[in-house]
Amino acid sequence: MKKINYILTALLGLSMQFAFAQTPKGSVLIKNATVLTVTNGTLENTDVLVQDGLIKRIAPDISAPKGVETIDATGKYVMPGIIDAHSHVALDVVNEATNPIVAEVRMKDVVNPYEIGIYRALAGGVTISHAMHGSANVIGGQNATLKHRWGSTDPADIIMQDAPRTIKFALGENPTRVHGRGNGIQPRSRMGVEAILRNGFSEALQYKKAWESFEATKNEKGSTAVAPQYNERLQTLVDILDGKIIIHCHSYRADEIYMLINVARDFGIKKLVFQHTNEGFKVAPEIAEYTMGASVFADWWAYKFEVYYSTAFNAAILQKNGALTSINSDSAELIRHLYHEAGKTQRYGGLTDDEALAMITINPAKQLGIDDKVGSLEEGKQADIAIFEGHPLSTYAVPQMTFVDGVKYFDITKDKDDQRQRISATETVEPIYLGHENHRCMQDTEHLFETANALFHTQH
Amino acid sequence: MKRTLLKASVLAMMLGGLLGWSQAYGQSDPSGKKPVTSTYAITNATVFANASSSGSKATVLIKDGVIKAIGSNISLPAEAQQIKGDSLFIYPGFIDGASRAGITRPEDPKRPDNFVSSNPPDEIAGITPWRNALDQFSIQSSQVDELRKAGFTLAQILPEGGMIAGKSAIVVLGDENSTNLLKENTGLAASLQGSRGMYPGTAVGVMAKFRDVYKNTELTQDRIAKFTSSTGVSRPEMNATYLGMSDVVDGKVPVIFTVGNDLEVRRAISLQQELGFKLVLTGLEEYDAVIDLIKSTRTPVLIKLEVPDDKAIKAQKEEVSEDVKAQYERVKEAYDRAIAQAGKLEKAGVPFAFTTLGVKVSEVSKAMTNMMEAGLSKEAALAALTTNAAAILGIERIAGTLDNGKMANMVISTGPIFEEDSQIKHVIVDGKIYDYEVSKKKNGKDKGEAVDPSGNWNYTSETPAGSSGGNFTIEKSEGDFSGEITYDDPQGGGETSSSLQDIEVSGNKLSFRFGVNAGGMALDVKVSGDINGDTMNGNMVIADFGSFTITANRTPSQIAKK
Repeated sequence: MKKINYILTALLGLSMQFAFAQTPKGSVLIKNATVLTVTNGTLENTDVLVQDGLIKRIAPDISAPKGVETIDATGKYVMPGIIDAHSHVALDVVNEATNPIVAEVRMKDVVNPYEIGIYRALAGGVTISHAMHGSANVIGGQNATLKHRWGSTDPADIIMQDAPRTIKFALGENPTRVHGRGNGIQPRSRMGVEAILRNGFSEALQYKKAWESFEATKNEKGSTAVAPQYNERLQTLVDILDGKIIIHCHSYRADEIYMLINVARDFGIKKLVFQHTNEGFKVAPEIAEYTMGASVFADWWAYKFEVYYSTAFNAAILQKNGALTSINSDSAELIRHLYHEAGKTQRYGGLTDDEALAMITINPAKQLGIDDKVGSLEEGKQADIAIFEGHPLSTYAVPQMTFVDGVKYFDITKDKDDQRQRISATETVEPIYLGHENHRCMQDTEHLFETANALFHTQH
Repeated sequence: MKRTLLKASVLAMMLGGLLGWSQAYGQSDPSGKKPVTSTYAITNATVFANASSSGSKATVLIKDGVIKAIGSNISLPAEAQQIKGDSLFIYPGFIDGASRAGITRPEDPKRPDNFVSSNPPDEIAGITPWRNALDQFSIQSSQVDELRKAGFTLAQILPEGGMIAGKSAIVVLGDENSTNLLKENTGLAASLQGSRGMYPGTAVGVMAKFRDVYKNTELTQDRIAKFTSSTGVSRPEMNATYLGMSDVVDGKVPVIFTVGNDLEVRRAISLQQELGFKLVLTGLEEYDAVIDLIKSTRTPVLIKLEVPDDKAIKAQKEEVSEDVKAQYERVKEAYDRAIAQAGKLEKAGVPFAFTTLGVKVSEVSKAMTNMMEAGLSKEAALAALTTNAAAILGIERIAGTLDNGKMANMVISTGPIFEEDSQIKHVIVDGKIYDYEVSKKKNGKDKGEAVDPSGNWNYTSETPAGSSGGNFTIEKSEGDFSGEITYDDPQGGGETSSSLQDIEVSGNKLSFRFGVNAGGMALDVKVSGDINGDTMNGNMVIADFGSFTITANRTPSQIAKK
């Protein structure tokens, strides 16, 4: 019976996660704020009422229901919790770099709710991050969408259980360096990357067919059919083909972006988001037509050969061409000020406030498949909210409070200084540094195959 | 092989000499190894028959490895050798829930010519469910001696290996000429540890691979069943991995998952809930966040019998800023939290046992004391070492308490066990008595007043390879100790010397370290012992090779004793 269950779950694309835990839900009334709804303009002198984790009402002069705390936000700005579509915060392992395809690994298995990076993200107004597998493999592991419920000890409590499945892909230099140059196997070049993808999906189709024909004949009288080998790697690719998983693909160059668009079209894959996408501006119409858009850096490039042809106008060009565009961090440091990163699209491209804010709220929500739940301030949505002193797109913006499901997890005035959850009993406390150890896309892969030191030091 | 050779040569050269049996030969047995009788009576001792017993005076009679009688008015047969127990305390022998004492890591298999790290053969990738701990076990290991000396009489031994290492077994820590096997194939040892530089390389890969191996074992069984019952079915592919996993999939034996912290506990339990196997968790160090989960899932747990060292706390300075003080406070909190965990587990009503895997066995007693100071009751501590362990291992019928008919496994100490001045004097395993020297002068009053170890010391060290010796000197100047030790040069060619490091004295305990260069390999040697007047008794730990006894005598000197 057990066996049938798991085959069914695999075929139905359901993943058996931890039992759904009851996560905290809060109620609060935020008064007299400038409310940046993102999807419905800016509302002055407006109140936001949150009850049991959901936004109940957005209107002027709401009186607080009994027992609901009121926060005076006069002169302050209230915006939807910021969403980072590319992060590696709160993961114990980032890369299972050992095979060009590791679709079977699940980042949800290694979520670490104690990582201080979660609190630092909250202190930058970020309520949701997309905890991704690294970029060492052509097809990496399945990612986890996290809600920053700081203080939880159970990883299941910070995983956004109602978010759809997503998976990491990577093109270009990283997978060819690790597997081709480092290990002497395919892919050694961008052509090899495409071959890995096409072969993988073709094999997945055969795998699907083998199981379907077994299921169809096993109950026939006198059937001699036996079950095929189980392979979660191929099963996950089948799920991608069946539209159950959104691909988030690390990419830089226009040619490789266009290559993946063609592969996806050939295999009928529609759920595809490009990550980094520094040359996205060259293929913006194609990205707009065939994909769920691009998630880019505001102005970060030239850390290796494939990232030299870049521009700070990238996000604006993509956006003006109709491509769904978000701005991400891929960094435990940048994640603390994504509102600054979004502001850069106004300097480089002249986007409006709503367009710029959408880059870090509703647009990444769409790319993660959670825009019906979060990403804007609308009645009925989950109450993930950030309160700012100063407009969030201003250089002088300072986040004041951050709420997830109506529960306050960050308060600049009331929180104690030392927010660490776990302390070692055997080490004298050392000072905490920010900076450097930010980019974990290629974490743990440098010495994987004892590759001669890579030519380029930075390995995003 | 290289390692074994090195081990042998280091021991032989460094501690060279021949071991001479000092025991008298038995008249009827030229080997001198056969005891005159196998019937013993420990008379009029304070007997704690089980973990919650408050102790009562009784005589314990054992014969051929079995407890025959416990009571105050039992008649002793003529062949019973009597041990006067008037000042002794008898407890059930301790049981180690999971151990690698006496286990030698098997040689790595040769990599095939067509080896591809992205898809390695199971054996190389650490997936070896067919391996058996018994094939890797030697009763003669000094680690077994050490464990027995600490009161352990039974152990579940786990094989060395990777993510699925192989089958465990329960052995008695007894006679050198016996297999000591009590029960084989008691579980399958697994961990979240990846293989270096190949698939699966990390915990996230291991979890995926574990699911893969498990599910394909189930499917293989289905194919075998169909092949066996019908004609016209293709021959199922049966490989060693799936066959080795079968007992787990059938629910006959548990997976014994080594986990360190609460997140790993959750990972193992989530695999268990997803796949449905029986689970035992071992090696838990940081688990207070998952006590409720352990309880609600009724997962048997083997707690690591160790507490964190308090060096970081001792290293805290006095004159520091408020910020640093607050950070210090959190380290202290973390320490207090760590040692209080076992007590919390007890309060939650979880019947846990211990593992010594990765534990310094010489510090087991200290760990027990710390845990008890932090809230663990003496009854629960004893139960963890005896009845709970027996229940988790499924051997409560024959072990865990002192009752008629149970195995004659016991710990005999000079005082109530775990009390500071108590020392283990005898350990009885399977009816065989092991005697241990107890140091005479040891009373609490001396504690805190450190002895002065200064002087010239002659030492001898006993090892399975023989005895050797040399001198060490310790000088004291302005409160700091310095010193030097001489020993047989492992590179050959007479004696050489090293300077002593980390010389510490606490009460009558002296400890220090020194480095030895053995053929280009730096070995760390740790010495610790109790000083009584001008003699010292203790042990010497040589890197990973084991622990050996050392005795030293202070010689008069004009240099050191100014």
